[in-house]
Amino acid sequence: MTSYRLNQGGLVDRATTLDFTFDGRSFTGHAGDTLASALLANGQRLVGRSFKYHRPRGILTAGAAEPNALMTIGSGGRTEPNTRATMQELYAGLEAVSQNRWPSLDRDVGALNSLLSPFLGAGFYYKTFMWPAAFWEKLYEPFIRKAAGLGRATYEADPDAYEKVWAHCDLLVVGSGPAGLSSALTAGRAGLRVILADEHHALGGSLLSETAVIDGVSAPEFSARCVEELRSLPNVRLLPRTTVLGWFDSNVFGALERVQKHVAVPAANRPVERFWRIAAKHAILATGAEERPLVFGGNDTPGVMTATAMRSYLNRFGVAPGKKVAIFTTNNSGYALGSDLESAGVALTAIIDSRADGPAYSGQARIIRNAVVTDAFGGKSLTSIRIKHDGRFETMDVDALGMSGGFSPVIHLALHRGGKAQWSDERAAFLAPDDLKGIALAGSVTGAGNIAESVAQGSTQAAGLASMMGKSAAAMSASVEGEMENRPSRPLWFIPDVIGKAFVDFQNDVHRADLKLAAQEGYGHVELAKRYTTNGMATDQGKLSNVNAIGLLAQARGLSPAEVGTTTFRPFYTPVSFGALSGASKGKHFQPVRKSPLHDWAAKHGAVFVDTGLWYRSAWFPREGETAWRESVDREVLNVRSNAGLCDVSMLGKIEITGRDATTFVDRVYANGFAKLPVGKARYGLMLREDGMIYDDGTTSRLGENRYYMTTTTAYAAPVMSHLEFCAQALWPELDVRLASVTDQWAQMAIAGPKARTILQGIVDEDISEAAFGFLAAREVSLFGGKLTGMLFRISFSGELAYEIAVPAGYGESVADALMALGEPHGICAYGVEALGVMRVEKGFITHSEINGTVTPADVGLGKMVSRTKQDFIGKQMLSREGLSHPSRLRLAGVMPLDPAHTFKGGAHILSKGAEATLENDQGYVTSYAWSPTLQSPIALALIVNGPDRHGEEVVVWNGLLNEFTPARICDPVFFDPANEKLHA
Amino acid sequence: MPDLIHRPALTKEPLVGERIRLAPMPEGTLLEVRGPQAELPALEAAADAAGLVIRTNGPDQWFAISGQPMLRLDLPDIFSVTDQSHGRVRIAMEGAAVDDVLAKGMAVDLFDFKIGAATTALIGHITTHIARLDRDRFELTVLRSFAESLWHDLETMSAEFLDR
Repeated sequence: MTSYRLNQGGLVDRATTLDFTFDGRSFTGHAGDTLASALLANGQRLVGRSFKYHRPRGILTAGAAEPNALMTIGSGGRTEPNTRATMQELYAGLEAVSQNRWPSLDRDVGALNSLLSPFLGAGFYYKTFMWPAAFWEKLYEPFIRKAAGLGRATYEADPDAYEKVWAHCDLLVVGSGPAGLSSALTAGRAGLRVILADEHHALGGSLLSETAVIDGVSAPEFSARCVEELRSLPNVRLLPRTTVLGWFDSNVFGALERVQKHVAVPAANRPVERFWRIAAKHAILATGAEERPLVFGGNDTPGVMTATAMRSYLNRFGVAPGKKVAIFTTNNSGYALGSDLESAGVALTAIIDSRADGPAYSGQARIIRNAVVTDAFGGKSLTSIRIKHDGRFETMDVDALGMSGGFSPVIHLALHRGGKAQWSDERAAFLAPDDLKGIALAGSVTGAGNIAESVAQGSTQAAGLASMMGKSAAAMSASVEGEMENRPSRPLWFIPDVIGKAFVDFQNDVHRADLKLAAQEGYGHVELAKRYTTNGMATDQGKLSNVNAIGLLAQARGLSPAEVGTTTFRPFYTPVSFGALSGASKGKHFQPVRKSPLHDWAAKHGAVFVDTGLWYRSAWFPREGETAWRESVDREVLNVRSNAGLCDVSMLGKIEITGRDATTFVDRVYANGFAKLPVGKARYGLMLREDGMIYDDGTTSRLGENRYYMTTTTAYAAPVMSHLEFCAQALWPELDVRLASVTDQWAQMAIAGPKARTILQGIVDEDISEAAFGFLAAREVSLFGGKLTGMLFRISFSGELAYEIAVPAGYGESVADALMALGEPHGICAYGVEALGVMRVEKGFITHSEINGTVTPADVGLGKMVSRTKQDFIGKQMLSREGLSHPSRLRLAGVMPLDPAHTFKGGAHILSKGAEATLENDQGYVTSYAWSPTLQSPIALALIVNGPDRHGEEVVVWNGLLNEFTPARICDPVFFDPANEKLHA
Repeated sequence: MPDLIHRPALTKEPLVGERIRLAPMPEGTLLEVRGPQAELPALEAAADAAGLVIRTNGPDQWFAISGQPMLRLDLPDIFSVTDQSHGRVRIAMEGAAVDDVLAKGMAVDLFDFKIGAATTALIGHITTHIARLDRDRFELTVLRSFAESLWHDLETMSAEFLDR
């Protein structure tokens, strides 16, 4: 309880006080605070328990890399675990709860794990949970699952909205520190379309925590002026609270904007998060550098934090880290912090520098060179540190320790497209590769030093891009006073004489002995060490730990960090919610809905709808008293067979084919002949793939000399259209053919049954008698005394006397109403896709259940349709392969149970009578199954070895999933009216 | 003889915000025309005479459009004309925020999308033909069966600019 708010200083709005709770206790903070700075201001340094050993943990950083201060924010459906307190803006009413502890943060039973730590080292699971094998599912896995995971997701639905959005720009600048601001300003002034994104809520980056004077004003003031100018430029878009997460092909960047994560109750008409896809001609990464912790004993004790974080809390938030502070550094940044602490009146005990030489320091603090901190003590709150210098140990009472192990440039984005980080001995850091295209780097992400250099670099990069785009840009520079010169650190991977656990990866509780063990046991390769120790995993993905781990592995293996290399950098830079990734596509609106022009007509007749792809199709039309779906379907089937029915078939694909060579084109895409189809006639067509298998089927009508109306199955409407476009454009560009999808133009209905003609004649002006409009007639017809023109087709998918009539979609409902009214005295009913399916199985007609990509025309009994005279058609050559006419092929047949009271299911397999149920004995499978109310028996279509030659044979239908065996008989697939007498009734 | 009623696919009231307005357009005439690009002047002249305006719809393809129903377009044989008056639904979208709203669904860079330009693009999951009629006014043309879904999506995308 030693950190506190200073009486003055910082950029927080001290006039605005915000109430919030942490673990149920009330606190206050100020506008401009993060949750982390507000907790520190209240002296709350213990903020969580570690993952494995449940060690007390405090706030380590002031940014996105925070591994410790992960909290659950919000309640109900808005519960969000693993929120980094360092990134969470404070708002009035914020509720934060610590994680990974029970019963409380202060008294945590799980901390007993620490006592077991000698047994819980790296590879513990692999070595322990090996045998007996039977224990794995029952004991080990449940145990590991229970222990795994960080935070708990809510089971309640998220009440908030998310959205995705595209943006385009000449230049995307990532990061709004000195280099980012100068890039954006230089490009913005030159007239480029600029987007400046920064993950923090206030723009300014490191300038907000800086005490140097720039161009005569304070660093925050300098940044505010830059931001103000940027805001005034109409060609610049500023995106604060936006993390650029990934760099993707075509220079598209993904970015997550936290639009309303800083308010208690989000406005309902705005998203809480917005996922940006930014197509940038160029990008400048001004992402800065991440300070590395140092690996000494107890380096995870609350009160120990990185030096830049400490400086940020001090200068930006006006929060002192403790009453007696020490700094352990390997570079000059520690001195900048020291000087700022002393200026703010915070007692600085010592600066412990691992180097022999360091900068001149004018403060009061003791400077100890050639020294290291070996250990920090205090458990839940730092009380003392142990130092080694000049060959002796010294204990120092301090309550806060800033540490700096050097800086790792934040190069993640630059590596998302496969680049490899390059180790620089000079900078003691991994740098981005030189051959980047589409992005440039500026500022400390390049490993470069100070503010003036960053400003100049950003401006130069932006000016270069501007001139490449034909714009002239003025370079920008800044004069800086009072900045500590920042030389690269001398790496200090291994600190000798450490007593306690020295953590490398705080989030995964990987300490340095784990890495040593990994190297010893043969897992020293950086990718293997990651998996063996879990170093670099979880929500922070090793932002703080990876480079230290690489350094320690290098040391253990006697290599340089360059030889060890890094693990693979992948998007996303920080975690992204599923909500943001799904955007507005959720619940009922997960995917679009296609509605037939007869949707409302079907709805008013009580239709039950079924999803068919994106379409809602009417499945059946229950009537009063009908309790089971099959009652409705049986009634519809029997009524169609005895009277008439009307079914919506608007969702069938419809393609209009025109052009001088339309006939040649249709003749080539179908396997059967179309060249001689007369105008005014329809023909069933079989479309093959190049490999000879059936692709799709449907009827195509010749409405004019060079005008065809093709129908496809509902499922293949779009693929067939693409296929035809490909044929027309790529295979036969010499043909004059035009294709138009007219699926949506027409409301199409089937009118089937013995009374169909009588009913239909009531609206069709011309004679549609058998003589005048025979089977397969197809032409434009005048309707309602010339009020409307439609298309009439004498085709049947039910085996009944049937027609399909197409009318302009807007008139669909009126026409259906008229037909239902005219049909009422004749007993017409609406029927759905289920009854349609039953009737087609009764007639042995195939659908994609049968033409499943493995069948040829001959397999389904349509071999004779395939033209032998056509010079060519798609599929002709490959269809002649001998395997496609082999006697062992599965071919279409009917199957009926011996006892009509028995049932089976689609997908069940056929076994010869008496044969054992084995793969070798498999004789085929059921493709379609239905209850036939006409035959009063289950009926099925099946693909069976030699099926057509086995009619009458008794077999067994075997359902391996339910272990059911049903005696059945193979039969003709046409169960009903095989002579097609009803078709011509 | 029953009354024949043309039922529009979208029976939605316009959505009106200060910076965004969304309204179904009348289902008049929409003809899909295909033919050689070189003959565009002839097409434009014929369309003009018929009271139709031309929107480009990809290489060698156009829409001829009017708010009036049942217009005819007589063209020489080198063109194919397909009536899509019932197959497509048009939605007008306008206001100062229109670019920002469309960016939520569409990858097209509207900065370079001049007045009179038209293209086919995905809005969310739905293929839509968009034409810029004025600086802040677009016409969206969509397959009839998708019209309600697109309307819903546009409403969602506009939500932050609607006063509700």
